[in-house]
Amino acid sequence: MTAPLHHVIIGSGSAGYGAAMTLRGEDADCMITMVTIDALPFYNRYDLPGVFRGHHDWRKLLAVPPARYDELGIKLRRSSRVVDVDGERQTISLAHQEDVAYDRLLVCAGGRSYLAENLIDSVGLMHGFGSFEAAMRVYRALPKGGTAIIIGGDMIGIDLALTLLDTGYRVVLIANQQTFWPHVVEPVERKRLLKALENKGMTIFADERPVGVLDTRNKKFSRAVALESGTEITGDVVMSFCGLSSSVEFMLGAGVDIERGILVNPELRTTNETIWAAGDICQIWHDKEKIYKFYHGWKNVRVMGELAARNMSGSHEIFDVEVEDRLDIDDDGNLRSTFWTR
Amino acid sequence: MTKDMNNTDIQIAICGSAGDGTIASGDIMKRAAALMGYNVIAFDLYPPEIRGFGKCISRIRISSEQTYSLKRESDIFISLNDNHAIPHVGEVRDYGAVVFEDSLIARVPEGRHISAHIKPAQVPYAFSIRQISEQATNSARSRNIVVLGFIAGLYDMPARVFHRVIAAKFATKPQIVIDDNTKAFDAGMRAGGAVFKLDDVAVGKPRDYSNGSDAVMMTGNEAIVRGFLEAGIGSYFGYPITPATSIMERLAVEIPRRGGQFLQTEDEIAAIAATIGAAYAGSRAATATSGPGLALMSEMLGLGVMAEVPLVVVVSQRGGPSTGLPTKTEQSDLNLAVYGGSGDARRIVLAPTNVEGCYRCAGMAFEIAETYQTPVILLIDLYLSNRYETVIPSEENTFAPKPRLRPEIAKGDIYKRFELTYNHISPRALPGEEGLMHTITGLEHNEQGRPNDAIHSVMSIKRHEKLNSATRFPGLTVCKRFGDEGPVDVGILGWGSTFGEILETMFEAQAEGIRCSAMKVVMLSPLPMDEIVAFFDDCREILVPELNYEGQFANLISGAVGRPVTRLSHVTGSPMVIAEILAEVRRLAGSATPKQKALGS
Ligand SMILES: Cc1cc2nc3c(=O)[nH]c(=O)nc-3n(C[C@H](O)[C@H](O)[C@H](O)COP(=O)(O)OP(=O)(O)OC[C@H]3O[C@@H](n4cnc5c(N)ncnc54)[C@H](O)[C@@H]3O)c2cc1C
Repeated sequence: MTAPLHHVIIGSGSAGYGAAMTLRGEDADCMITMVTIDALPFYNRYDLPGVFRGHHDWRKLLAVPPARYDELGIKLRRSSRVVDVDGERQTISLAHQEDVAYDRLLVCAGGRSYLAENLIDSVGLMHGFGSFEAAMRVYRALPKGGTAIIIGGDMIGIDLALTLLDTGYRVVLIANQQTFWPHVVEPVERKRLLKALENKGMTIFADERPVGVLDTRNKKFSRAVALESGTEITGDVVMSFCGLSSSVEFMLGAGVDIERGILVNPELRTTNETIWAAGDICQIWHDKEKIYKFYHGWKNVRVMGELAARNMSGSHEIFDVEVEDRLDIDDDGNLRSTFWTR
Repeated sequence: MTKDMNNTDIQIAICGSAGDGTIASGDIMKRAAALMGYNVIAFDLYPPEIRGFGKCISRIRISSEQTYSLKRESDIFISLNDNHAIPHVGEVRDYGAVVFEDSLIARVPEGRHISAHIKPAQVPYAFSIRQISEQATNSARSRNIVVLGFIAGLYDMPARVFHRVIAAKFATKPQIVIDDNTKAFDAGMRAGGAVFKLDDVAVGKPRDYSNGSDAVMMTGNEAIVRGFLEAGIGSYFGYPITPATSIMERLAVEIPRRGGQFLQTEDEIAAIAATIGAAYAGSRAATATSGPGLALMSEMLGLGVMAEVPLVVVVSQRGGPSTGLPTKTEQSDLNLAVYGGSGDARRIVLAPTNVEGCYRCAGMAFEIAETYQTPVILLIDLYLSNRYETVIPSEENTFAPKPRLRPEIAKGDIYKRFELTYNHISPRALPGEEGLMHTITGLEHNEQGRPNDAIHSVMSIKRHEKLNSATRFPGLTVCKRFGDEGPVDVGILGWGSTFGEILETMFEAQAEGIRCSAMKVVMLSPLPMDEIVAFFDDCREILVPELNYEGQFANLISGAVGRPVTRLSHVTGSPMVIAEILAEVRRLAGSATPKQKALGS
């Protein structure tokens, strides 16, 4: 009898969660370990703007009750950061000084909010929105009817901004090249979309470059964003939504090819045959265009996770999702995207 | 998450290795909680081994209401050593908190970090405990204080209370120790305050803040010392043994200060012999030991019974037989306490069920011993000896000795120390009192105390029957019923430290709709039979949970009442488990026949 395989998944987002569930379906006996920095079991991040609609109990956000992981024999290792992967020894190293051996590794570490270099020094004065905890902090920092300043305004930010307007807050958007990311929007269309947002009630600064965030706690508003033009915009919280950069640092010694993300073939396998990658972290080879492409949005990501899991279990399916890049915002502020869906 | 700010009932468990400061941090936590005005019940488990080896766990229950035992699950669990903590992390309830180190200095083998064992419904809080300690104090030694700060920060507890307790705790150390630990606490508090709270543990305000100043927190052993001192103990002779030693350590300081006699003897036999001598001479005299010590004392205890000497013997039980489990709890010396020794040596045995009971029983023990002129055994166990509870002591000292009536004899009459009287209690003279010269001996004796075996049956009756009224001793709770009145499906009968778990179980069972009562029996010898029989009459099933294998109390009770009981034995060296009692209560409640249920009997 051969020992059951140990599948290790790094990350417990949409891709990692979808993969774990699929793996268990494919192989009842394998060992599955999910390692994640998160403190909570998987929930859909796209539900996070709901904190402004009173959804403050994270238990209600969870995709499955926590006990389900035990029932399915999926070991969930939370609050654990992977700092290194040794593709030859087939081990991952955790920050708390533990190595975990794997037979097959799936990397679903996603990405983190990209921050422009000139704002890095201001990071302590800004809020993130990538986790339940971060979302709740924004909720607590914003007084009723207060003002959120959004720099950039990728799709995550736009979705949040619309929720904020709907729930009685003010939003100032400092638009830039990343506005509407991951959609690629032509300048004319961009203007139209920004106008639609303005009609919805957003204050828009279209061609301004922020140079720093100021702590103005003792004044009427606790934050200000200084623009290159010399203007200062005041508000209660400042958030940067300028797209994602893949969380690949810990993969640098793994012996896999990395560009902006981890490079995988259409089967989502990396250049190391025991390592796969899925989700926001990976760039998938597009045979027709002859380039590696990111596919964002939770639906794509989920498909990737499940597909990688099946391939780790012996299949050879390929990721051939083709989505047109189309975005529209109607007069009521409703977003319609071809891949950024609810 | 919702949080009832008015009601607090949380249990914190801190687990580490001997040398990690686990018990010290538990101590600070419970003292701070008591100072804040909460009710506290706390119990530490520690190893017999030297520093650097065994496991230590400090569990502290903090509540705004009266509680009776530790909870069956902890709400907050802190690991100072994952190796020891891993087997216990399962005791944390769903949505409770698990706090642990995320930056170890040495590599751990795969699966030996606590993050591999935290259940998906528990909330992990990983932070750099060691680093924070080092940054604050240049040493990792204050990790145990950093975690306290973290808890205080996370649950918004007042720093000043902890500062006060830390200063008191290290008062005998150089100022730098206080300063460093305060800094470590503050640094931990900043870390805890910065973390987003995800668990649903609610720490509300204590019910009445002003109560805090009245309540005193003490262990069972400390309560016994306090009771003894208020009762005017004059002599103590003892030989150290876990878990009774701390009684002796405290009295070694307090008794000489009050002009009394204290001596650490060469062994337990000498200790009880000296105690008998002092008691015979009129001093309020006591000794304290554990099961193995009581075994050695049993012959001398017989002398106390035979010579009708009023002494007090504290017996704090631990796991046995022999050296057994010196640092673990058990209730297996009941037979020895009630029956141990040669001959028919009936004595009074009191088994308090909580710390307050230890204080009251100790306070009254001398008076009971003097009234009945016989040894009184205070039977507790390690769990009660070492368990902390907040107690509200009496405002007035009600335990002080009452004036003793000197025997009155007519001129020319001979004083009979063992005179046969209507209540079998003879007027007692002290040696040296003029005109009251008498003999005492371990031999059977006549009324004057002279050896005489012809009178053995009469004297046996005297020594037994004189104790009958002890179950109605004024002011002493010899037994008490709790819970539903009248007929019930299940009655839980308990004694000693286990009764707290029994009461908590009863509340849980009642909440489930089970008709349930509980009765604690404090006087194990003689037994308060009327109350016990009435309890049996009301209960369709009787359950007796206790910490020994044979069911010693169950045997005692069912033998005395002549009816069967269901035994629940727990001999792991740790306190009784509420879940085990509850499972048994449910099983027994479910066994009611439909007819019985319909009749409501
Ligand atoms: C607020 C918000 C709103 C969104 N709204 C929408 C929407 O409306 N529609 C839509 O289609 N998409 C939406 N998205 C995007 C979508 O959620 C992402 O595409 C998807 O979450 C990516 O999934 P993933 O599994 O690849 O990575 P993620 O969900 O980012 O998960 C990454 C996981 O990896 C873990 N991790 C990272 N580094 C390490 C490490 N070193 N060690 C261990 N673990 C690590 C993280 O803790 C995390 O668990 C939204 C995203 C956010 C943040």
